[in-house]
Amino acid sequence: MNDVGLVSATWRTLRRRPDVIVAALIVLLFAIMAAFPRLFTATSPRACAIREARLDPQGWGTPHPLGTDALGCDVLATMVAGVRPSLLLAFVVVGVSLLIGVTLGLLAGYYLGWADYLISRTIEVFLVVPLLLAALLLLSLFKNVDLGAGTFSVILLPAVVLTLFSWMGYARYVRASVLEAKNLDYVTAARSLGASDLRIMFRHVLPNAIGPVTALVPTSIAAVIGTEAVLSFLGIGVRPPATSWGIQISQGSEWVLGGAPHILLAPLICLVAAVLSLVVLGDALRDALDPRLTA
Amino acid sequence: MSPAMNAATSPASSDALLEVTDLAVEFRTPDGAVRAVDGLSYRVEAGRTLAIVGESGSGKSVSSLAVMGLLPDTARVTRGTVHLAGTDLLAMSRKEHRARCGDQVAMVFQDALAALNPVHTVGYQLTEALRARRGLSRGDARRRAVELLDMVKVPNAKARIKEYPHQFSGGMRQRVMIASALAMDPDVLIADEPTTALDVTVQAQVLRLLAEIQAERQMGLVLITHDLGVVAGVADDVTVMYAGRAVEQAPVVPLYAAPAHPYTRALLRSIPSASGTGSLPVIPGRPPSPAAMPAGCPFHPRCDAVRDVCRTEVPPPATPAEGRTSACHFAADTMTGPGPDGEPGVVGRDTGGDHE
Amino acid sequence: MGRYVLRRLLQALGTLLLVMFVLHLLTTVAIQLNGSPAQAFFGDRVASPAQIASVEQRFNLDDPCFDQPGNPCLGPFVERLGQYAQGDLGTNLRGREISGIVAAAAPNTMRLFSVVLVTWLALGMLLGSAAARWRGSFGDHGIRLSSVLIDAFPVFVLLVVYRYVVAVPLNRWSEQTFGENSWPPYWFKPSFDSSHPWATIIVPGILLGLAGSAAFIRLVRASQLESYQGDHVRTARSKGLAERRVVLHHVVRNSSVPVVTAVGLAFVEGLGGAVITEGIMNIYGIGGVLWQAVRDDDVGLVIAVVTLLAAVTVVVMIVVDIAYALLDPRIRYE
Repeated sequence: MNDVGLVSATWRTLRRRPDVIVAALIVLLFAIMAAFPRLFTATSPRACAIREARLDPQGWGTPHPLGTDALGCDVLATMVAGVRPSLLLAFVVVGVSLLIGVTLGLLAGYYLGWADYLISRTIEVFLVVPLLLAALLLLSLFKNVDLGAGTFSVILLPAVVLTLFSWMGYARYVRASVLEAKNLDYVTAARSLGASDLRIMFRHVLPNAIGPVTALVPTSIAAVIGTEAVLSFLGIGVRPPATSWGIQISQGSEWVLGGAPHILLAPLICLVAAVLSLVVLGDALRDALDPRLTA
Repeated sequence: MSPAMNAATSPASSDALLEVTDLAVEFRTPDGAVRAVDGLSYRVEAGRTLAIVGESGSGKSVSSLAVMGLLPDTARVTRGTVHLAGTDLLAMSRKEHRARCGDQVAMVFQDALAALNPVHTVGYQLTEALRARRGLSRGDARRRAVELLDMVKVPNAKARIKEYPHQFSGGMRQRVMIASALAMDPDVLIADEPTTALDVTVQAQVLRLLAEIQAERQMGLVLITHDLGVVAGVADDVTVMYAGRAVEQAPVVPLYAAPAHPYTRALLRSIPSASGTGSLPVIPGRPPSPAAMPAGCPFHPRCDAVRDVCRTEVPPPATPAEGRTSACHFAADTMTGPGPDGEPGVVGRDTGGDHE
Repeated sequence: MGRYVLRRLLQALGTLLLVMFVLHLLTTVAIQLNGSPAQAFFGDRVASPAQIASVEQRFNLDDPCFDQPGNPCLGPFVERLGQYAQGDLGTNLRGREISGIVAAAAPNTMRLFSVVLVTWLALGMLLGSAAARWRGSFGDHGIRLSSVLIDAFPVFVLLVVYRYVVAVPLNRWSEQTFGENSWPPYWFKPSFDSSHPWATIIVPGILLGLAGSAAFIRLVRASQLESYQGDHVRTARSKGLAERRVVLHHVVRNSSVPVVTAVGLAFVEGLGGAVITEGIMNIYGIGGVLWQAVRDDDVGLVIAVVTLLAAVTVVVMIVVDIAYALLDPRIRYE
């Protein structure tokens, strides 16, 4: 299989870039933060004392290493607590839309005919409404639905809405590469030997299409994190009592000139670090997997 | 590595339109410099056609790109001169060199669909150089475009100048390509595999057209091809290239009658003939990669007459007959020697001391 | 060509109808699950059933189908289409005509987009072309690196930092340096000023344009690199044309086809960005109206504005398709 060759070639390209390793480490750090918040802070984000509001950062080892926010909540604790919903939302949205997009793209490109017509028109319809506008509309419509406070419940609505409007890119990519791969000689050969449609799709056509789509994943995760921040800023993203970087940025922005810039800066730096790392990873993957774009 | 090949050609004789002397081109690769053309020399006179024949990768196209100053950024000329009407193009600035192109020497490319710009009309492309460089007016340019298409026998030229390349058939497109190269009346035309992408019947028509135009205008024509069969009816002289070098140079008739290099002989044998019934002999093996050139004669791993000396020593240029050169230790024997069935060892034995 | 445009127009009309239907379905499901949005009209006050009913009637929410989950509510959809066809977009919660609100807000959005478009083209074409022309050079790597950095700062972050961190000190500094009534203090005003619409829109517009320019730079670079390697560029050079002419007529001209497509797609992305920009910078544009409507729970206004923007998107896509056909003759004859 040339899969092994592709994977090792990709790894060789990635290894030569130190920025990629740093970016991967940062993403890993945030992933650990999401999985085990206790490793980073012992304070609960909800233990707030209004008397201690807007304390400046006090350094490691003190009760409030990054200070407190306007309500006296620990900034570090809130920041760490915000990682989980943000990352979980991003992974769920990208994972599910990838699944939908790949499936529909494969069906459309492989069978053509009415399946292709139906899927292509659906893609066109969903593309006409920009992701953010759709999210604004639907989330404000569903704003009052109560779904509970579980880990998944707080992100369920934004996850569904964002997924609904972000699968089209993958579907188009996959459809195009399937069209290309379908006429390759070895696929024709496999078909003439009587291989089943499913077998041809998964063994021969899909591996060809998966490269450029994989390269889109980190950038898409970054985009979802950014969009979530906007939605939370407007109060229609992750549900309280859960918190997210967007909510903290929204609250912190009012205190920058009021003498407490750390309330804004802490979540903002995290957001930028996460997005930058993912973008760097995506850029490197694009170079490694989509040779047409490199010099 | 090898000395100048062509002792037979005296440099810069006055009647040569284009004269290439000891040209060497190198490509920069991640694994170091690779020599694509090594010591190539040839000359083209007015009214004559030189065919450069070789397999892909033999350096025949790279050498003509060097003449036109169109080498990719990774390549550079390391040695040699290219005299066009007496002046050395390679000694000029890039800009001056570019100014000679199209005007004095023009080029026809292989794949006309890719070589013509898909977003401009045929008329625009035929006369773009005339308008940009000679300041032709729009109306004059249109008249000239029609003339050019008429000349290459594209029917209904007046209407067709408004069309785009993708609306032409393969043969017609190649005619357009030729017409656009002729727009500025060049003295020398380099045609790089002009018929390879075409159907066999169309190939013959396009070749005949090239030959007619060349005769009519007394141009010098360099015809680059991998197909010795194409050469016979059109060329006056032939240069056979292998692995970046000219292995044999000769006028076309004697070359066909008695090749002086085993590679030429093998190429000639693999031309299908109308009467032939048996299977065609093929040359075993593949041309060497320029990055891993074998020691000695570059052709020795595939040669059917290989001797020990071929494995260790680069053959010096030999002159087996008047006006011919061959890069073979046993050039004279190859020319006079027996056919393919002859025992190679027998041929070489008593004349083995011929080389110095 | 005329036939192609006509076919494309009909197709676009179909797409638009489908989009409106999808939006309608989603809205209907939301109302059926979520209860009537009419309650939002009263804010935190408890309204009597009669009051609710009168509001529902005003916003066309009185059809019984809204109480039956699973009912697609085709009746109200057809009714709404009829209203839209007459240019009636309904009213917002305070009873103002939405068409009037949009008309008042549109000029500012156009101002914003003209700044954005200039930024895109200036940055994308200049930097992308430069990177392609001197590929592999120090500048190329620099341009590439900056396009990655730009991507790392979502427009939301840029604007929050600008408005809350940078703008006020800059504004104060320029007031002291250039005087209170000069132009610079207006450029750096942290929020929109309707008496100086252009001056206060420039910086937000540049920021929004900057955020979208990274994809542009990459695309222009990639498509020009492809052109540079094309055989037709070699042909043009073989004719002895000056390099400047080769670049303009054979590289830039040929790579304009994918770039125009990208302008269309970026425009659609930019609509989302415009909502954020106008929202954060308090610009009274269509996006700002939408932002405020989301904050006020004014669902009717949200639906109308999103539908309108979807229609704008469809129009932009047609324009792109036609431009595409004009630029690439191979499309026209298919």
